[in-house]
Amino acid sequence: MKPLITRVAESQWHALEDDRVVGRGDVSRRPDGRLFLSIDVWHTPVFDQLADVMLADLPKPLYTVVDEADLDLTSSWARAGFTTRRREWEYTVPTDPRVTGLDTARPPADVTILAAGTAELGRLRALDRAVRDEVETTVGWREMPAEVLSRPDGITAPDLPKYVVAAQADEYVGLVRVAPLPRRPRIGLIAVRAGQHRRGVARSLLAHVLGSLHGNGVETASADVHESNVAAAALFDGVGARRAGSNLELVLT
Amino acid sequence: MTKTPKGIEVEGTVVECLRNATFRVELENGHKVLAHISGKIRRNYIKILPFDRVLVELTPYDLNRGRILFRYRS
Repeated sequence: MKPLITRVAESQWHALEDDRVVGRGDVSRRPDGRLFLSIDVWHTPVFDQLADVMLADLPKPLYTVVDEADLDLTSSWARAGFTTRRREWEYTVPTDPRVTGLDTARPPADVTILAAGTAELGRLRALDRAVRDEVETTVGWREMPAEVLSRPDGITAPDLPKYVVAAQADEYVGLVRVAPLPRRPRIGLIAVRAGQHRRGVARSLLAHVLGSLHGNGVETASADVHESNVAAAALFDGVGARRAGSNLELVLT
Repeated sequence: MTKTPKGIEVEGTVVECLRNATFRVELENGHKVLAHISGKIRRNYIKILPFDRVLVELTPYDLNRGRILFRYRS
């Protein structure tokens, strides 16, 4: 029996069989303006029928996120015409200095690491803008994790308690942002000004963050790394992090 | 346990993360089900770990399978 597909709200579709919801589709707009879809169904054929209706209703390009290990879902989106746009490795990062080898990591002599919540907002915002501009002139934010994509209005408002900062004289030169998620905090971003690369600043920021988490009884953190980001992968591989999985961002143009 | 037009929703605890993007969840009544995560959770990069308290929607076609709709903060 073919389900009845209905757009029940501006951003929501239902597939009904015998007055029972057997599939659900949603769309939401990210801060960067892109439209992301999700479809949940109890039977695979319903996915195709929901996708047909949703794709006809919505402007392209459209995006979605899948766990690469979820072969059924990934192939369902492929049948709808979606292709892989990016892959991010999901790392599980140990915090114990005896495992990470970071117990001896120190910042360069002219750099000081400021603990979470102690940075000065104006300087942090200046660093945030500088890093965003530098990334945009190289690989671009399209290759960075979705949560830190630049907003169209250019507004950046760092949440101070989440940031550990590397300071040099009157300027901030590096940052790491940690989301305090239950049990496994998430390292959302590590960035160092272009002129300060290869000095061990990122490694010393990571040493500070992981050491603090370990001191608070947290055994592991998580981090997502774009597959082309060789420097970040090397940083995490070098501290004994392991790849726990991968997420794909799919696009239909 | 709440029965709604969209299915049966019940709270449980994640006991195991399996390899194929599924989770074993122990429900409040002790019953264990296999569950995928919902698209909204995936879209928002919410990670599910063992011992997480979650809200699961059970499929009306197989009460051994479900979908994780929500992860509680505590």
